Amino acid sequence: MGATGQVNPMPAGRPPGRRAAGSLAALASETVRAPLTARARRELLFCLAEVPLGLAVVAVPMALAGVLLTVVVAQGANPPPRPAHPAGALAIFGAVLVILLLVILTPRAARGLGAGHRQLAARLLGERIAGPPPVRPARGVVRRLDATLRDGAGWKAVAYLLLKLPVTVGEMYAVFIAAAGLVSLTYPFWWRLFRNHPPSVHLQPVPVLTPFGSFRVATFPGTFAAFAAGAAMLLAAPWVARAAATADCWLMRGLLGPGRLAQRVADLEQTRALAVQDSAALLRRLERDLHDGAQIRLATLAMNLGMAKERLATGGDPVVRELVDTAHRGAKDALIELRNLARGIHPPALDNGLADALATVAASSAIPVELTTAIGQRPAPAIETIAYFCAAELLANAAKHSGASKIAIEVAERAASVVLHVRDDGRGGADPTGGSGLSGLIQRVSTVDGRVQIVSPAGGPTQITVTLPLRA
Amino acid sequence: MRVVIAEDAALFREGLARLLADRGHQVVAAVGDAGALLAAVAEHHPDVAVADIRMPPTHTDEGLRAAIELRRDHPGTGVLVLSQYIETSYAARLLGDNAAGVGYLLKDRVADVAEFADALARVAAGGTALDPEVVSQLVRAARRADGLAPLTPRERDVLTLMAEGRSNAGIAAGLVVSAGVVEKHVASIFGKLGLPPSEADNRRVLAVLRYLGPGQ
Repeated sequence: MGATGQVNPMPAGRPPGRRAAGSLAALASETVRAPLTARARRELLFCLAEVPLGLAVVAVPMALAGVLLTVVVAQGANPPPRPAHPAGALAIFGAVLVILLLVILTPRAARGLGAGHRQLAARLLGERIAGPPPVRPARGVVRRLDATLRDGAGWKAVAYLLLKLPVTVGEMYAVFIAAAGLVSLTYPFWWRLFRNHPPSVHLQPVPVLTPFGSFRVATFPGTFAAFAAGAAMLLAAPWVARAAATADCWLMRGLLGPGRLAQRVADLEQTRALAVQDSAALLRRLERDLHDGAQIRLATLAMNLGMAKERLATGGDPVVRELVDTAHRGAKDALIELRNLARGIHPPALDNGLADALATVAASSAIPVELTTAIGQRPAPAIETIAYFCAAELLANAAKHSGASKIAIEVAERAASVVLHVRDDGRGGADPTGGSGLSGLIQRVSTVDGRVQIVSPAGGPTQITVTLPLRA
Repeated sequence: MRVVIAEDAALFREGLARLLADRGHQVVAAVGDAGALLAAVAEHHPDVAVADIRMPPTHTDEGLRAAIELRRDHPGTGVLVLSQYIETSYAARLLGDNAAGVGYLLKDRVADVAEFADALARVAAGGTALDPEVVSQLVRAARRADGLAPLTPRERDVLTLMAEGRSNAGIAAGLVVSAGVVEKHVASIFGKLGLPPSEADNRRVLAVLRYLGPGQ
């Protein structure tokens, strides 16, 4: 019972079975103290709160059905003066509409109710259950319906609400025992105050409710029986409440939680996003380190060699002059190589956004490029990097294979994604399976759940669309 | 010539200061960020300011933004922007619609001391110094668009040097021909491309750049 597998901050009253047989006194004292612990109070409160929430599942549809039935009956009693045929069609249409609406609304409502149940469990029992992943946003009636029908978490919440009904009965039972026990316990205290009537007056005996039926009390000594019954019920109530709450939590974990696979997917998505961001940040730092370190040192070296060369030009040993000259040229060549290397690691213009960086790529393209960029908010750095390298790769590919005379690059923001569209007027036939740069590009894009669409019939033109999320 | 240097790498800044001092120029301030550059220029009114593009705090383009601000607020001060990378879009932003007293060079060019000093002097005097890499990108783009088809190869060479901001004498020295030959080539280029002839070097640069179309 108490071993729910979760860390429970409440003081634990251990189930009797765990105790060694000898400590009967300890067992008795624990049983007596059980109703007084904070945990027992919280569990009872939980049961109390769960009862209306659990019954709402039955009450709301019944109320709805009642309203519908009333409407139908009223319509039947007062039929509209219309020909029967269209009215029938209308009724069928209406019924379909209502069913559709119910199908769409039910899992969503169940998700909402489920969240309420989870919150109660977290607040009162310290049982924190992560919520299921949210419904994927969809536009349009059909897509939304589709998303709802596939909303496994929503339907699981529906299952929870239905399966929970017997548990709700148990919770009701716990609340009932506690309340009735409390009331019965008070009988001896008020009996003398209200039942001090003369013997000639005959009053109805007072009923005492117990889980096993009720009995009646007519005399003061009889109230002690009621007291005893109340005490027994009060002692039993925490255990019933605990059993019901435990069963409820078990159901919640199974049906309202994220689900093991979904949780795993969510975890993997998160860690992958972190890995992608990390690698982008790492490359950027590497480029910056090169820029502030090796590159600047080499530039300074080349400058100093240049100064030395100038001094030597007006005299000095011709061998030294030649050596310095060679060193000077070598330093300049190394600078160029280092610059190209750094640019391949992380193009510095990306720090200013895709538009600037792509302008430079477009300007250095061998084929004329018409570039249009329209991005409102800046994508994550990792996404910008991927978009940039995609554009560069596609331009290089077009220059190598397409024979195109012009290329159009469009970058736009559409529904939380960046869309890069590259179109050339070349000979087409681009094949992502041919070991070209395209397969690497597709791999790169897929690390962030992006998509690449290639339309390149033989004879051209080639149109490639890369869709990337705004955030990795 | 009075010079202000803004460069966050101390090694390069000091090297540059020494190079300029060696050639008899006066380095009135050598600072490490864009804010200090603006302050130093306001204080010293130098002939020319040399600015790195990537400087603290964001290490992106603050040097470029400061340079654009200087060009607007201190037209008497030439601005030479240095960078380890050439970005065509940066060149377009820096020049705007005025090529007077402005330069954009790779840091590598400093290694060719005499040429660098020449470019710096040009910028200080209100001329232009554009990195050959920028010009070659523009020329390549223009050639792709067949805009340079009427020119002879020699005229293209002259055009390229003109776009870098060189004077006739500079072009003549670069191509090892006489100044008269260069003048003839220039007149021919302007005639073929239909550009308005211009005496001032920086106007001439602007006309050529407009023709090449750096996406302004």
